Amino acid sequence: MRRVHFVGLLAFSTAIGVGSAQAADVKVGVVQGLSGPPAIVDFGESYLQGIKLAAKDYAAKGGKHKIELVVYDDEANPQKAVSLVQRLMQNDKAAVIIGTVSSGNVLAFAPIMQKAGVPLVAGPSIATNITTQFINENPSYIFRCSMVEKHQIDAMLDWGVKTFKKIGLVHSTTGYGNFAAKEIADGIGTRGTKLVAVEAVAPNVNDLTPQMLKMKEAGAELVLNFHESFELMYRPMPKIDYRPRVAGNWGLSSLKVLQIVGSQELEGTVMGQALDLSLDEPKAFVTRMEKEYGKDFRWPVIAALGYDAMQVVLKAIDSASAIEHKAVRDALEGVDGIKGISATPAKPFGLKDHECLDKEHVFLGVWKGGQVVRLQD
Amino acid sequence: MSADSQRIWLRNLGYLAAALAILLVPAIANDFHVHLAQTLFYTAIAVIGLNILLGLSGQMSLGQAGFYAIGAYGSALLSSQLGMPLAVSMAAGAFLACLAGLLVGLIALRARGLYLAMATLAFGFIVEIGAQRWTDLTGGTMGIFGIPSLDFGSRSMGKSYFLWVAGALYLGSQIVSDYVFASRYRRNLLALKENESSAQTAGINVPVWRTAVFAVSALAAGMAGVLFTHQSAYINSDAFTLNLTLTLLIATVIGGLGHSYGPIIGTLITLLIAEIIASFYDVSFMIYGIILLTVLLLFPQGAIGLLQKIAGFSRIGTSRKTSQPREPISNSLVATREGREVRGGGPALRIDGLTKRYVGVTALKDVSISVELGTVHALIGPNGAGKSTLINVVSGLYAADAGRIVLGGRDITHLPCHARARLGLARTFQNLQLVPSLSALENVMIGIRRRRGAAADFAAWMTSAHFDQIERGHALLLLQQFGIAHVSDARPEDLPYGHRKLVELARSIAEEPAVMLLDEPIAGLNDEEARQIADVIRRIRNEGTTILLVEHNMDFVMSLSDRVTVLDYGESIAEGTPAEVRSDARVVTAYLGVGLDTEQAKLAIAT
Amino acid sequence: MISATNFVQLLFSGLAMGAIYALTAKGLFIAHLATARMNFGQGEFLMIAAYLSMALILAGIPVAVSAVVVIAVMGALGWALERFALRPLDRFRSLAGGQYSWVLTTMGVALIIQNVATLVWGKSSQYSPPLFSESRSNVIKVFGVGVFVEELVVIVTALVVVAFFYWFLFRTRQGRGIQAIAFNPEAATLLGVDVRRTVTLVFVLAAVLAGISGILVGPIVTVQPHMGLVFTVKAFAVASLGGFANPLGVLVGALIFGITESFSNYFNSKFGDLIPLIIVLVLLVIKPSGLFGEAKADVR
Repeated sequence: MRRVHFVGLLAFSTAIGVGSAQAADVKVGVVQGLSGPPAIVDFGESYLQGIKLAAKDYAAKGGKHKIELVVYDDEANPQKAVSLVQRLMQNDKAAVIIGTVSSGNVLAFAPIMQKAGVPLVAGPSIATNITTQFINENPSYIFRCSMVEKHQIDAMLDWGVKTFKKIGLVHSTTGYGNFAAKEIADGIGTRGTKLVAVEAVAPNVNDLTPQMLKMKEAGAELVLNFHESFELMYRPMPKIDYRPRVAGNWGLSSLKVLQIVGSQELEGTVMGQALDLSLDEPKAFVTRMEKEYGKDFRWPVIAALGYDAMQVVLKAIDSASAIEHKAVRDALEGVDGIKGISATPAKPFGLKDHECLDKEHVFLGVWKGGQVVRLQD
Repeated sequence: MSADSQRIWLRNLGYLAAALAILLVPAIANDFHVHLAQTLFYTAIAVIGLNILLGLSGQMSLGQAGFYAIGAYGSALLSSQLGMPLAVSMAAGAFLACLAGLLVGLIALRARGLYLAMATLAFGFIVEIGAQRWTDLTGGTMGIFGIPSLDFGSRSMGKSYFLWVAGALYLGSQIVSDYVFASRYRRNLLALKENESSAQTAGINVPVWRTAVFAVSALAAGMAGVLFTHQSAYINSDAFTLNLTLTLLIATVIGGLGHSYGPIIGTLITLLIAEIIASFYDVSFMIYGIILLTVLLLFPQGAIGLLQKIAGFSRIGTSRKTSQPREPISNSLVATREGREVRGGGPALRIDGLTKRYVGVTALKDVSISVELGTVHALIGPNGAGKSTLINVVSGLYAADAGRIVLGGRDITHLPCHARARLGLARTFQNLQLVPSLSALENVMIGIRRRRGAAADFAAWMTSAHFDQIERGHALLLLQQFGIAHVSDARPEDLPYGHRKLVELARSIAEEPAVMLLDEPIAGLNDEEARQIADVIRRIRNEGTTILLVEHNMDFVMSLSDRVTVLDYGESIAEGTPAEVRSDARVVTAYLGVGLDTEQAKLAIAT
Repeated sequence: MISATNFVQLLFSGLAMGAIYALTAKGLFIAHLATARMNFGQGEFLMIAAYLSMALILAGIPVAVSAVVVIAVMGALGWALERFALRPLDRFRSLAGGQYSWVLTTMGVALIIQNVATLVWGKSSQYSPPLFSESRSNVIKVFGVGVFVEELVVIVTALVVVAFFYWFLFRTRQGRGIQAIAFNPEAATLLGVDVRRTVTLVFVLAAVLAGISGILVGPIVTVQPHMGLVFTVKAFAVASLGGFANPLGVLVGALIFGITESFSNYFNSKFGDLIPLIIVLVLLVIKPSGLFGEAKADVR
């Protein structure tokens, strides 16, 4: 019985952090969606893989500080995410926090962090308004290293309206899908045209035959795919004998999509991109990741952004005048000389720019022979 | 000071200490711990509701997240969109959840068991989908911004204020739950959970209770949702998934289902598990699964059961040793019967042309019986004659197809079961219908009418150890008179069959009925026990209660009855004094078939 | 409003998904019939069967062989579930709330199975190769619309399995044993039915049914560790819709659900998953024990 009590006590103290040890001199908190449906976990794990590799590289190069990553899983649940962020701020005394997949969760805890004055590097969430709503605060503690939904949608629509007459949209009914649908509707409106069909997909629907029949009926030549289970759309195509061009979110570049859909069916699919795999650095990065994570490596662009986010954070910690929230925040804003794997520029942030990726860094990629390359139009 | 009042004093002191502890948390904890404590308190409120719903009334809900969400969105929208003050919006949110609970409770009136679980699951999903898709109203997964925090306008102290509000609401809910577990509410809910028909015949309005308990659990879930909304001042639909329902369910079970303090302990444990698995995300499901299996298979009474085992005392707050009645209570079995006296001097119970058909069979055909006031009237007949059907129709479990039933001058043909019971009609069952999880004494107490309103009873419970002493004393007296007071704390399953029969008889006597329907009161008893029952029946008859009795044992019937009616194939074939019936040729034929010598048959019936 | 070909196309889609629900729900039905309990992890059983089948086929084992292996493994899993997560609960029947403990123990097993799947195969979705064709898109024309061979197989299998169960329950000794237990366990014992063995049998059968659905469903949808819950919920809905008391009710309920789902996704995809649920809820209000369930009076 005594033993049980002891173990219980131990678990209890780890759980709520009574008397946590002070081994590392700087703690970086990470909140990610690491359990649950693949639509969440694939993003969360890929980003985390990049973060971990960057931390490893930093330690190998003999970084200035001993860094400890404190990683928690928010299960894509906002209530949980808020609680974990409190824990990272109050108990773990994290210098800076990175996270998370679900934009709704970031929207839940970003105001709390801004209020508390703790810097956040958001990612891989993509909702457009995450940094903009705080940018006029003096100062804003909210940064992001991820795709920005608006940028990739703009790039896609520019290309889409130029190339196709009839464009349809299939989106999920989750936050991600709904948010994208709204931006697409706005974006296509400002380009003086409209979508020929818009269909939604509930998260627990496995068969997209009805939705794709609607696309076929409307004669959509280009179908925008904004559903987190990217592969589902391709499934009914041979059955209903309808093969439109598909374009969508950066998620379509996942190696898992390739594996499930097959390179033949995927050929020509266009997506927002921020990683140019024709360059040497990204190629080398992919090779390293494959070696490091094997079959669990599935998403070059998201892992690359995770890697870059961590690079930026580490550089800021190195250059901060003190390991203290305000100093780290200031350092983040001033970070320069980043050698990004993704399209992240050398000086990602500025006073009124808290996004790693700006409009000009986002381009369109296309599946060609089982590889994502830059779309040449 | 007696041990009992010392116990009450200690309990109230405990409430005070808890209140003090809640007040002091912010002084000793950091913001994260305060946040955890806030979450603990409001989640525990929802779990308390589920514990009463599932643990006492036995109704499975897989839709608690729906109520939680309705409370949360209700208060969020009213305060942020319509600018209502928090006190109003929060009350309104909880009220809306309660209303939803009433609606779902209406489904529970008809659907039972798994069908009810499915209906609530569908309800939960419908709310979840609504929250996710009705984005104009709820903001979907992007959420609602600009919800006011519950901080009374103070940024620095806001967290403590919230904690105090959540803690006070929790403590209030806990006290109400303690009261429910100590009072007739627990007995009645367990009765309707474990034995719906006997609960009805004991005068419990089952539909109302079933619905009300849903509404109460929804109110609790709604209160939790309301508090959650104003904790972080932001909500989105991802917070209200099936996972939330399951977490609440797991907390209820891990803590100890059907114990008043299960919820707070269960919630604490699940919160700690959640914090632990946040860093063991690769095996988090496995940890959860193993904990569930371990608790349910090894410690089925949950953490509270384990604690009790360690501490060596049993069943806190569910039952206690019965003290002897303090004041001498009259030696009468039927203590009071105000307002139930039969008016006008007619028969106590009149059955007129009663007909009951099942598919293809007519079980009762135009049966008329008049049971005179203060008599024992027996109903006999061969197996399948329709005797039990008659009792079931008269007590209201089955509806009559034709005919009238008049109790003391009042037509009760179309009244529901429980209403008939309240008008003074009590019954026992052929195969016993006791509530297995209640003690013998508590089973008897189910029959006792309540003597004061809920508020007065609650006030009495708060201040006195003997708040239910009259009921307890009365029930104990009945058991004493039957000579089984020494087993008053035993569960029915631990009692010999004869004792169980006596307990059931005591319960129906406790209802202080004008008319009792006894369905085979001595079947399966030995001679000594049968004699005891016969004595009791005579006594209650002598004290003025009218009895309609079904029994096969002819000795018993003939020696006890004032009049006898004989049923055969659903028809009344004879009625008269025992002696008259015994010599009736048709009766003899019905019992023994034709071709027998009448004298021989008489002999057969007499023995 | 809707063209004839689209109508047929949607009908086939609905039938195929409905057939999967029917197979899964059948497992819930038979377990519930005999024991008033069922496996809340039925969907996770389906999921693990889909993974096993996928792994075996990808390893080059012929489909028929791998199907036999998967079914055998699932049967063993069903046995273990009954033996270790359900039977021990019999001791606690009289405890407060003990009547629903099985919901949480089977759910606990489901969580463990799900976690094992993520540890072995990762957390991502997987490609599951087709069973009866070389390419990913083996389409044949039926009534002028394209249908996957796999979808047709699912529909046919569901009909065969339902027919088999009808025969099994009403024409075999074991089947009648199950019914006897459902009616009254004590009386069944007196009639010479081995209650314990029969209870084990129904859980083995239930797991085998989940196994068959898993093998068939893998190539139609995407295999992923989280896929189970949806199937559990839908199978549960289908069994309630049809009534837990009637073997044909499950099939009818499943087809109604599948077809409703497919058409509601066509006519209003935004609330495509809501409409079937509302139908279930409304039907439960009108028919509180399912379309084919008899409302049994509380006879004492």
